[in-house]
Amino acid sequence: MTDNLDATDPRTLPGFFDALADGTLLGGVCTDCEQVLLPPRPACYACGSRAVDVEPQAREGQVFSYTAVHTPPPGFAADAPYTIAVVELADGGRLLGRVAADYADVAIGDSVELTVRELTAAEREVALDYEVDWPVHVFEPR
Amino acid sequence: MPEPVIASVGASPLGRTDLPGRDLFSVALAEAFDGLPDPADLVEAVYVGNQSESYEHQIMHGTLLAEWAGLRYVPAERVEGCAAAGALALRHAVKDVRNGEHEAVLACGVEKMTSAGTSGATDALSAAFDRAIEQRSGVTAPSQYALLAQRYLHETDATERDLAEIAVKNHANAARNPRAQFPEEIDVATVLESDPVAPPLKLFDCAPVGDGAAAVLVTTAELAADLDRPQVRVAGSGASANNIAVAERDMTDIAGARIAAETAYEEANIDATAVDIAEVHDAFTVCEALLAEAVGFAPPGTGYQSHRAPAERADGWTDVQLSPSGGLKARGHPIGATGILQALEAYEQLTGAAGDRAVEGAETALLLNEGGVADAVTVGHVLTTAEAR
Ligand SMILES: [Zn+2]
Repeated sequence: MTDNLDATDPRTLPGFFDALADGTLLGGVCTDCEQVLLPPRPACYACGSRAVDVEPQAREGQVFSYTAVHTPPPGFAADAPYTIAVVELADGGRLLGRVAADYADVAIGDSVELTVRELTAAEREVALDYEVDWPVHVFEPR
Repeated sequence: MPEPVIASVGASPLGRTDLPGRDLFSVALAEAFDGLPDPADLVEAVYVGNQSESYEHQIMHGTLLAEWAGLRYVPAERVEGCAAAGALALRHAVKDVRNGEHEAVLACGVEKMTSAGTSGATDALSAAFDRAIEQRSGVTAPSQYALLAQRYLHETDATERDLAEIAVKNHANAARNPRAQFPEEIDVATVLESDPVAPPLKLFDCAPVGDGAAAVLVTTAELAADLDRPQVRVAGSGASANNIAVAERDMTDIAGARIAAETAYEEANIDATAVDIAEVHDAFTVCEALLAEAVGFAPPGTGYQSHRAPAERADGWTDVQLSPSGGLKARGHPIGATGILQALEAYEQLTGAAGDRAVEGAETALLLNEGGVADAVTVGHVLTTAEAR
């Protein structure tokens, strides 16, 4: 294995979130089987290959499944109920995230676009030290 | 190779109790060793399934519970895999006996979930999901499984009413189980009209928060016979991990569960049609439907018929009875103890000790225990009567 990872490498979480803070969603793309990995990581879960390229991913996608959280963890109480979805992105990867819409206004197949914001004060309180500057992504209906 | 058997079982009361975890364990252990020599005269190693230190600010459960059992200088460890911790502990005990390392191993599980209220349990359970993306988006155990349920209802003919019928069936089973946390029958309207937790899942689609401990003694068949104990063979054991993030899995084909079950079937030299009873991981109603399909009981898209009598299910279904204990839904789901409670139910069913809820003629059981959401980790065991040898 030739990996020499440091915190600037997008196959680590700091590297991934640094790029996301600048508005770029990076995915790993397996050069052997084309599986998209969100976030990027050193190895492909689909085939085991470690030949993983890092490429910007389309921010548009469609709702694959969704729900709403009525019984939130303590740090998210003020936001409840909030909508969560698994989104299939146009480049093939799937990513879970909040949706900026009421549950009743969302359906499977809806088009959404990934946006990025900083943590709220409440989110900051439950963040680990190293997570405080990592942004959160939110899917906006299109 | 020595053949591992379960030679004895015990459990604490389940639900909201006034006992801390170690004391719940003592209660379970006392039942398991009723009429047997003391643990110190039998047990050579201890595995403890336990989800989270956040309930009692306590790790080191191997050391602690071995000590509370009167054992000293034996190998003892906590096993972690969220709600699959109990079956992982059982699997370690089974392997130790099978490979000849020990003749008698205690596999147990304990969780004191009510120590910090519902929000404490919600927070502790959320640690089972990917921290970077999922936790930071505010997911919960019900919301993770709701994503599967939404997808399942979208892809199949199943309705929310079908899922509610699974809860009704499992409560009816629990009503005949003196160990159950909720031994009460309910009707479909109660489920459908209960509060939304994570739509389409409602309160009565969800297994409860509760305390509990359980213990099983895994021994060689010879030792169980010497002890004059009814024995149940552990004929197969399989385990499988899948991705931690739910988004990166097939959300209706629960592949890890299929692999864990098939591994256990293969070791037991059976197929799914041989299974008479199954305790599957119905933490949420939809799980019973998904798992019935994954482990080969039901054709794809028909698992939601698990609540029906065998003759009324779709073609291709086996005659298996699911969750005779009442399942996680109504028997109870004290996370780290659940996999051991599943083994306890199978032991009682296969040794004629299941009383009113006995499934007639049951000789072969499948246990399926999951941790994280769905098949993030799955453990399957096949248990059979000694006669089925
Ligand atoms: Zn690959």
